[in-house]
Amino acid sequence: MADFLVQDADARANQTRWLRHLVNPVRFSVAVANDEPSRRKRRLGPGPAIPYGAAIGPLLLLLLWSLGSATGYVDDRILSPPWTVATTGAELIADGRLQENLWTSFVRSFWGLFWGIVAGASLGVIAGLSRVGEYLVDGPIQIKRSIPALALIPLLMLWFGIGEGMKVLTIALITFAPIYIQTHDGLRSTDARFIELAETLDLTNLQFLRHVVLPAALPGFLLGLRFGVTYSWLALVVVEQVNATSGLGYMINLARTYGQTEVIILCLAVYAALGLSSDWLVRFITRKALPWRRILAN
Amino acid sequence: MAADSRELSLQPVVSVRRLTRRYADRTIIDGVDLDIRRGEFVALLGRSGSGKSTFLRALAGLDHGVAGDGVLEAPDAVSVVFQDARLLPWKRVFDNVSLGLKGDAAGQRAMQALEEVELTSRATAWPMQLSGGEQQRAALARSLVRQPQLLLLDEPFGALDALTRLRMQSLLLDLCARHRPAVLLVTHDVDEAIHLAQRVLVLDAGRFSVDMTIDLPAERARRELRFAEVRAHLLRSLGVTPKELQHVA
Repeated sequence: MADFLVQDADARANQTRWLRHLVNPVRFSVAVANDEPSRRKRRLGPGPAIPYGAAIGPLLLLLLWSLGSATGYVDDRILSPPWTVATTGAELIADGRLQENLWTSFVRSFWGLFWGIVAGASLGVIAGLSRVGEYLVDGPIQIKRSIPALALIPLLMLWFGIGEGMKVLTIALITFAPIYIQTHDGLRSTDARFIELAETLDLTNLQFLRHVVLPAALPGFLLGLRFGVTYSWLALVVVEQVNATSGLGYMINLARTYGQTEVIILCLAVYAALGLSSDWLVRFITRKALPWRRILAN
Repeated sequence: MAADSRELSLQPVVSVRRLTRRYADRTIIDGVDLDIRRGEFVALLGRSGSGKSTFLRALAGLDHGVAGDGVLEAPDAVSVVFQDARLLPWKRVFDNVSLGLKGDAAGQRAMQALEEVELTSRATAWPMQLSGGEQQRAALARSLVRQPQLLLLDEPFGALDALTRLRMQSLLLDLCARHRPAVLLVTHDVDEAIHLAQRVLVLDAGRFSVDMTIDLPAERARRELRFAEVRAHLLRSLGVTPKELQHVA
């Protein structure tokens, strides 16, 4: 038996050595043949990473846009040149209009998202933890989800007027859906193996919830949150372009009336910046909240 | 030691009578009896799908909704070690071991258990940072810290490489000698069963087709001879033909 085991271990060691060559050709060439380059010309796969490579695509686009505008190939009534967008941005900041409208939009989005998170997470927990809760909550939400948000706006306007409340409510209605779905799903898809484990450890219901179910659902909730944050900016566009007297969407509408493409482009750039930075923020929170996940990534 | 323990604990820790378990119209466990005493190490062999895991899950009380009857007397303190270490990935190793422990000295006991499996230095690591063997050691610590009267092991070393498996088997023997729970080890590895257990059962068609006490002589040559005999007997009862046995095993 002992002999057999030793032999087996030897074979295994050989096997892993062989496997290592397979996955790491560079090491192979160094170890075996110093004067000869690697037997393989290049590694399979997309190739090595370039620092700040992600910026190449957007910068190239900006370059093409600048070239088009400078050579007159792009009509500035169709698309203002980048420098006009930049100077207009500076002017709008100087007279405070950009900040003012941005703040209005931000506050709407924030409160809409806030109530969306509160509603999505609590309904998700209700439906996720109890069967009765699921029967009561899940059906109406699935029905609501299949109605386009834009189609609800006329009704919401009739009920709640055209004030801030209606705007916040619309954003909340749009953002709560992904948070609800992911939270509910996260709570329901607790790994059966961990449920079994909790039973063998004689955990109480409360301990089971605290140590197993909720941590297992956290990644789902955070994914829902990421969608929710993105949706909150989308929802902003919806409510501000239907009826508003302030905010980024209002600025865009006004600019369209006067044919100011530079203002439209500027607002779009602000939307992009808001979307990207809030997405980054949620990913940052996710990394902090799920430290054990980082191990997986490394 | 074996003799006096038998005198001390005539009362079995686990007592199974006419246990039956059925999935739909297929009878997996067909009226089996089994007693395991304190400090006794029983290995249960069986082909894939023979129902050995079903039997273990019945003892663990994990077979909700599975049809069947029979009398099953098991202690309150039962620990299970699964083939996968089943550590919660969002808890550090120490918190995994102390999960659900009651009492003031819970933390201290968890640390002690980690010491027993030589894992103190990885107490604050995340489970995913551990190797397969370390994960299984943490799972062993988690099961032992509860001071089980019955320890159920469901192919606990099946996913480990041969070297790690050997070391884990040795560790398991040490721990069982020290804590002396009743042990039921479910495995498909005949060598493992003979090396670890004092008694080996083979489950076939819902019944124990073999129930043998492992009595290897101390003297080396005779021990090896007897080992080979027992091994061949068990392999044959698991459906390995004489020709296959001669060929590879």
